Amino acid sequence: MAPDRLTIVAGMALVSYALRVVPQLLLTGWSFPASWDRYLRLLAYALVAGIVSVALYLTAGNFDAAAAPRRTLALAIAVLVTVKTRSAVTGMLTGTVAVLLLSWYASG
Amino acid sequence: MFLSPSFRQGVKAAVPVWIAFIPSSFALGMAAKGYGLTWEEIVLMSALVYAGPAQYAVVEPLAAGKPALQILIATVLMNLRFLPMSAAMAPYFRRVKRTRLLWASHFISASSFVVPYIRFQSEEKNGGKADRAENSEAHLDFFLGVGATAYCVWVAGTALGYWAALKMPSGYEEGLRFILPAYFASVIAMDLREWLAAGVCAVAFLLAIPAAMWNQDWGWMIAAIAVATIGWRIEEWRRTD
Repeated sequence: MAPDRLTIVAGMALVSYALRVVPQLLLTGWSFPASWDRYLRLLAYALVAGIVSVALYLTAGNFDAAAAPRRTLALAIAVLVTVKTRSAVTGMLTGTVAVLLLSWYASG
Repeated sequence: MFLSPSFRQGVKAAVPVWIAFIPSSFALGMAAKGYGLTWEEIVLMSALVYAGPAQYAVVEPLAAGKPALQILIATVLMNLRFLPMSAAMAPYFRRVKRTRLLWASHFISASSFVVPYIRFQSEEKNGGKADRAENSEAHLDFFLGVGATAYCVWVAGTALGYWAALKMPSGYEEGLRFILPAYFASVIAMDLREWLAAGVCAVAFLLAIPAAMWNQDWGWMIAAIAVATIGWRIEEWRRTD
């Protein structure tokens, strides 16, 4: 394992643990304002939506124009199937099969 | 502890959490292979960080060699939700020995928070507030029955997902890359109940690419924070109106 990645993973572990343990030690009986909860919920949604977009469309920092249409179509299929079936796993699998078929079709 | 009735009850209550964790951890392992992380890196990350959305958010930047600060800030932002969750649980563990509390805290996650918290609240309705402190050890045992077993499923699922990706023949790289974004988009689609949250997701999704082109390391994150903040202000304004 590259040492820099190991250090980063260790840093991630440290900050994640701190966020879990600090309230146990210092904030017993403390309750966060409801508006704070609402902000964190929206922040989590926005961050996940942003990283989904980046993971789908950017390759080495460049917009992957050739793959974008099929990935967009497959993502739409995944979301629609999820909404219809109320199953995220079914949506994910259907979208993945769709993107594979589309990429094989595109590569002839 | 592992033989205590509360721990066993926690294990039984954790089964739906395991079922939810199997596909997501498996997908994480497969995606990690797709992005070029090693088996050790992703399994160690699952074991030490144990936070699905944060791990998912950093797989690509970590593999691409993005700055450590960007990865750590993304981790903090994605995991800020642990603060209110952990604070809400703290009164139920008030009399637990500090050493137990220190290692048990690692198992706090969104799923392993919801199941025990709902149970403790319903117990409290029946037994009164005195139960909180008196049953601290039993509460922690129940929490560990949920959290520690779900954690094992998460780590094992990640390892198995990576292993499964190794066995895939070439030609499936596009699927490996797609599986995790598809899973998280599907989870968001299932979870969204309000138009405002859906709007925040849609705008953050659309703005992420131009923002990332403007600044490769920070753009998408700054855009997501800005969109969430504006959405939150609109929500607060509607509530007070």
